[in-house]
Amino acid sequence: MAERAPDRLVRMLGMIAYLERHGGVPVEELAEQFQVSRRQVVDDIDTLWLTGTPGYWPHDLIDFDAAALEQGVVRVTQSRGMTRPLRLGTREAIALVAALRAMRESLVAGLDPDRLAVLQSVLDKLTAATGEAATIVDVRLAADGAPTVNAAVGAALQAGRRLKLDYVTASDVSGEREVDPLRLVTGERRTYLVAWCWRARAERLFRMDRVLSAEVLDVPVAEHPRSDHADAFHPDQDAELVTLELESRARWVAETVPVEEVRNRSDGSFEVDLRVVDPTWLRHLLLQIAGDVRAVRPNSIAVEVADIARSALSAYGVMVPRTTSD
Amino acid sequence: MAEPIPPAERLLNLVIALVNTGSRMSKEQIRGTVAGYGDATSDDAFERMFERDKDALRDLGIPILTVTGRGHGDDIGYRIDQDAYAMPQVDLTAAELGVLSLAAQFWQDRTLRTDATRALTKLRAVGSGPEAGDLVAGLAPRVPAAGAALGPLLDAVHAHQAVTFSYRAASTGEVRTRLLEPWRLLVREGGWYVVGLDRDREAARSFRLSRIEGPVRGVGPTAAFVVPIGIDPAAVLDSRRAETSAVAVLAVRPERASALRSRAVSRPEGSRPLPTGLVDRDLIQVPYTSITAFVDEVVGYADAVVVLEPEELRERVVTRLDAASALDPTPGRTGHEEVSRRG
Repeated sequence: MAERAPDRLVRMLGMIAYLERHGGVPVEELAEQFQVSRRQVVDDIDTLWLTGTPGYWPHDLIDFDAAALEQGVVRVTQSRGMTRPLRLGTREAIALVAALRAMRESLVAGLDPDRLAVLQSVLDKLTAATGEAATIVDVRLAADGAPTVNAAVGAALQAGRRLKLDYVTASDVSGEREVDPLRLVTGERRTYLVAWCWRARAERLFRMDRVLSAEVLDVPVAEHPRSDHADAFHPDQDAELVTLELESRARWVAETVPVEEVRNRSDGSFEVDLRVVDPTWLRHLLLQIAGDVRAVRPNSIAVEVADIARSALSAYGVMVPRTTSD
Repeated sequence: MAEPIPPAERLLNLVIALVNTGSRMSKEQIRGTVAGYGDATSDDAFERMFERDKDALRDLGIPILTVTGRGHGDDIGYRIDQDAYAMPQVDLTAAELGVLSLAAQFWQDRTLRTDATRALTKLRAVGSGPEAGDLVAGLAPRVPAAGAALGPLLDAVHAHQAVTFSYRAASTGEVRTRLLEPWRLLVREGGWYVVGLDRDREAARSFRLSRIEGPVRGVGPTAAFVVPIGIDPAAVLDSRRAETSAVAVLAVRPERASALRSRAVSRPEGSRPLPTGLVDRDLIQVPYTSITAFVDEVVGYADAVVVLEPEELRERVVTRLDAASALDPTPGRTGHEEVSRRG
């Protein structure tokens, strides 16, 4: 996809400002600094070389040291006064400062004091440079996971060590497994550890609130095939399609779980289609929202959940008298 | 002319020209002398090009000032004041740039992601060297996408301008038009919210962005209101999820519910008798803050976890199970047989 002109302009102005402060900079370093290819750096310099003040005679143009460039080093000899870095726009400041603040609040568990200090220092610098715009957005991320577990996972991620987890699955089966941690994905609802599971021999998502304990092992993590696995749960298209007919009150279901389709009805109720990989998860969901469920297709699922509920009620010593009239 | 000058190059020429001009440049001067504008084939094409470039530069934080000559009214010129666009003195270390790079990936939302990425490019210009990524290795904070409503709401909150939008109430499913003085945007469990004064109800209200249907439009002037002193916008939202602090006494089947067990506090003192029928179970005490969330969790274990105390929790779990036991649309033989065969 072609880059948008404004984005390229911002980078080219940024390069001039950077070069002004650093003197001669190798092309590779400039590419790394602005996270673009070397080719793009050369293109940007070629464009800059052609720009200047009207007239566009040689003395009007932005100019580089051609001999240095032959050696792969970029040095500006005439900047036409374009040396001041651009200030952040309001929305730009909001986007970065709100993100940094949320990171400071939520990532504390996975960060040691040194890293936390860097986060705080960049937040201070940015707040000073941008003013009060930051209070417009307030983000609170999930803070699940026991403190000792969070600390161990954070340490293992930074040091690149294998972890021994005591983990309980959605089906309420607990067991130990060794994993190579890859990423800690903190969302607004839950925190997941993405890791290579040596038992499954595949990448897996682990819910941090289901990790009972975590121990950092003295084994470095191994190289694993990169999976394109997104950091969120995306159900398989081959999984069973289930349709729920729900009261309006259960609208959060359509908003928080991955759904295939939502169909609103005029009375406020709605239908959702879900792909269900894990029947345990669906049973759990239906037990939660039972009061707002009008119908479930296929019917066998409703029958199964009702039966589970009846046996739970009998554990409470409450046997619901089933009225035959309705 | 051999080939047209690319837009980025034209924009750059315009910025350099307007920064370096002695006092101002007229539109005719810009069209006649700034490289790139000669490509405009007609007056209209030039006007559109120039207006679009002015907007683009303003969006980037480079405002073009309109300067009127003293003599006559139609003597209008343009220039760019570098002090208006320059960033205050900031120096960033490689480690700090690494943290900012992570922050720029924070948003799944396209609006904020574009803004954050551009901000990062600007900050790279004041970095001491290429970013150091190992500092934040393995951390991936992610905020869900907010959709089309976010951009206009961000601008309205910042400009203190009222907005109107169609909203689907969760309680009734009804769609109604709302008029809101937006105070703040929040991300909480479940997604994005806007909190503000609902002008029709004359009260503070929170709205979920995912339930906004259609466009959000600004109405009336900017700087039209102030966020009342003494009101914490976050509290308006968080009050709906009032937190308590209680301890549940649970009878748990052996080997089950390890996640609950891991949060258990010291066992009930004395030998509390287990109710008949539950004598083979373990007694645990688990603290909780949100009764709704805890009911959801406990119900999910079905008969593996029985609530003994507090009474309110027990009642709510039983009510929930009651509703679930009625899910079976044809109560009676068919369902039971189907399930028992499977067992």
